[in-house]
Amino acid sequence: MPTLTFPLSRIEGHARVVIDVEGGEVKSASFQATEFRGFKRLVRGVPAEQMTVIVPRICGVCSTAHHIAAVKALEDAFGVKPPPLARTLRELLLLGQLIQSQATSLFIFTMPDRLSVSSILEPDLDKGAGEYSQIAKHALAVRRAGTRLITAAGGQFIHPVKAVVGGMTGGIDGGTARMLKDELAAQLPLACELIEVYARTSRELRERIGTWGDDAPAYYLTSVSDSLPNYDGDMLRLLAPDSSVSAFPARSHHEHLTYEQPDYSYSGRTSCRGEALRANSLARINMAESMGTPLADGYLKRFRDNFGRPAHAILLFDLARGIELVYAIERAMQILAAPLNEEDTDVPYTPKDGEGYGLVEAPRGPLIHHYVIENGLIADAEFVIPTVHNIKSIERALMVAARRYITGKRIDMELEQAVGRVVRAFDPCIACATH
Amino acid sequence: MKTFAVLQLAGCAGCEVSLLNADEWISEYRLAYMPLVISAHDIPEVDLLLVSGGIRNEEDLYNLQRAVPRARKVVAIGTCAISGGVASLGDRDDVREVFLIDRRHDVPQLLPKCHPIDTVVPVDCYLPGCPPTPELFMALLTEPPGFKMSAIVCVECGRKKLRDMRPARFSGFQRGDVEPGVCLINQGFLCIGSSTRGGCRAPCPQAGHPCVGCRGPSDSLIEKEASVWLSSISRVISGLTDIPPAEIDRELRSPHLSLFLFQFSDYSGPGRTPRPKEKVM
Repeated sequence: MPTLTFPLSRIEGHARVVIDVEGGEVKSASFQATEFRGFKRLVRGVPAEQMTVIVPRICGVCSTAHHIAAVKALEDAFGVKPPPLARTLRELLLLGQLIQSQATSLFIFTMPDRLSVSSILEPDLDKGAGEYSQIAKHALAVRRAGTRLITAAGGQFIHPVKAVVGGMTGGIDGGTARMLKDELAAQLPLACELIEVYARTSRELRERIGTWGDDAPAYYLTSVSDSLPNYDGDMLRLLAPDSSVSAFPARSHHEHLTYEQPDYSYSGRTSCRGEALRANSLARINMAESMGTPLADGYLKRFRDNFGRPAHAILLFDLARGIELVYAIERAMQILAAPLNEEDTDVPYTPKDGEGYGLVEAPRGPLIHHYVIENGLIADAEFVIPTVHNIKSIERALMVAARRYITGKRIDMELEQAVGRVVRAFDPCIACATH
Repeated sequence: MKTFAVLQLAGCAGCEVSLLNADEWISEYRLAYMPLVISAHDIPEVDLLLVSGGIRNEEDLYNLQRAVPRARKVVAIGTCAISGGVASLGDRDDVREVFLIDRRHDVPQLLPKCHPIDTVVPVDCYLPGCPPTPELFMALLTEPPGFKMSAIVCVECGRKKLRDMRPARFSGFQRGDVEPGVCLINQGFLCIGSSTRGGCRAPCPQAGHPCVGCRGPSDSLIEKEASVWLSSISRVISGLTDIPPAEIDRELRSPHLSLFLFQFSDYSGPGRTPRPKEKVM
């Protein structure tokens, strides 16, 4: 019986899905990451302080998260605490990345699945290209507002440079802050409109295919705090299927999470007590008490009224991204309303040898950088990547989809679309996962 | 309407993300292939092929060789496609050994080294940068009439060089405490914007972080050996500081700079043809 291979697109990086079928029965579904550069190895011997320039290059989509995780790992090793304004500026950086990333995932990666087109940038001409070109225009504008925020707070929006050990190289002047706030204010209604189109077309998709996807309980992992979301967190929190929540610091992640390396992929795979684990938007939305901003809280309430808490179906990851997109715009506007260049942005420090952990909540989930420094050089490095936490859950959801569409003697051609939807719901980043 | 395709080899997708911010091409081009944003699994005949990333595994090599004959013009975008970029840190002998024993099933096998794309296929144009800015992508794709770039990053940075502020040693790789408006070299940073090609608008030094040279050498240096570039940087730093030349030389060869400093150097030197500056944006 056949081995079905599905190439993947509209995700970051190189990966494919392989489904093994025997006698009409689905035997396995594997997610194969097919690229590898070897950052864990190639950073050995690098001067520790240069990590902030080198490791953003793990991923151009998630470079802001790697930049800040690197700085925080070095600060942990050196025993440095950045001043409050630096932390605020880093939060702004992470919010900019959240806007960029969630807008990209929602409108560029997954919206085409709702509209049955191959891309919103090059829509099939016989399928109402006029309406879609408007969607593309607005989606790119919302996304660009996020990139402008990163540029202002980080120097450039891909591989930013302004976060340094001890703080930031500078704040944001009043004029720039006002301009950014105005742009975000202009994009907020566009974002809300896009989210409404997204929600409506998602419901239509649900009607057509009859499911929101794999909805069995799982473990959820995030590092945002339990009251208001703060993406610059310092503890990981784990929500178990029995609804209990445990918290632990980054340095003890090996005690709570189990990592394995399948030989069919360059990505690792995490489990928790033998079960599937989930990170990314749905983990945060399931664990947040509230978002703390008016529009986002409205969307959160609607989400919970419809799907309960915790919600498990995988296509809800996508809807949860919409709540976060609105939150990130609203929260960034709040921060930009206060002065961002009137206090110190850094403290002096002395580099030293030792060990450090840096934790940030990246759009795809909690990201940990762990460095061992000897003679000022990196002796060992560990990158704990959010996408890796989701691989087992992706494979579980692929099994659910495969069993739905492969029956007895027949393979329903909807399977190909389903594979894409399952993978994109988790918004995996392969450059990060394999690093 | 002209068509273009984007082939991503081993890289970080930063070039593609930058291109997404340069979306004015939408009215002039049809995007035929770019897996990041479009579900198309094969490259058709196109006017322009942009290749990002280095050749790290056998699948990269296959995809590149298959794509190039279908394009009228091939552009290497970003440092990885031009020189291997950050992945070439893995080419150091002690690191390579660990790579080569890593064998997995069913996935493309790693090559012994990470290769620039023009070691395998002819390249018509180079767009260096890590990543190239959206403005540079626009300049490449739509050739706007008003576009001008400076020869070096220094000119676009705008920080003032002072003759009387001469540090005796480097003050560390980077730090938060940066004097606004004053050249970073005067403040003891190893900034190499004085010989790095312009066009990026100097976002890093303007933000208080030394230029790491991701755009590669300027036109006056690009066809020469890497040692000429190094001594040019060294001369500028010696002119503005009292840092001993041996210390400058040592710092210039550190890993983060080597990602970028040597991106055009592998073709220079006796018996090897440098990449002509006319081909470099």
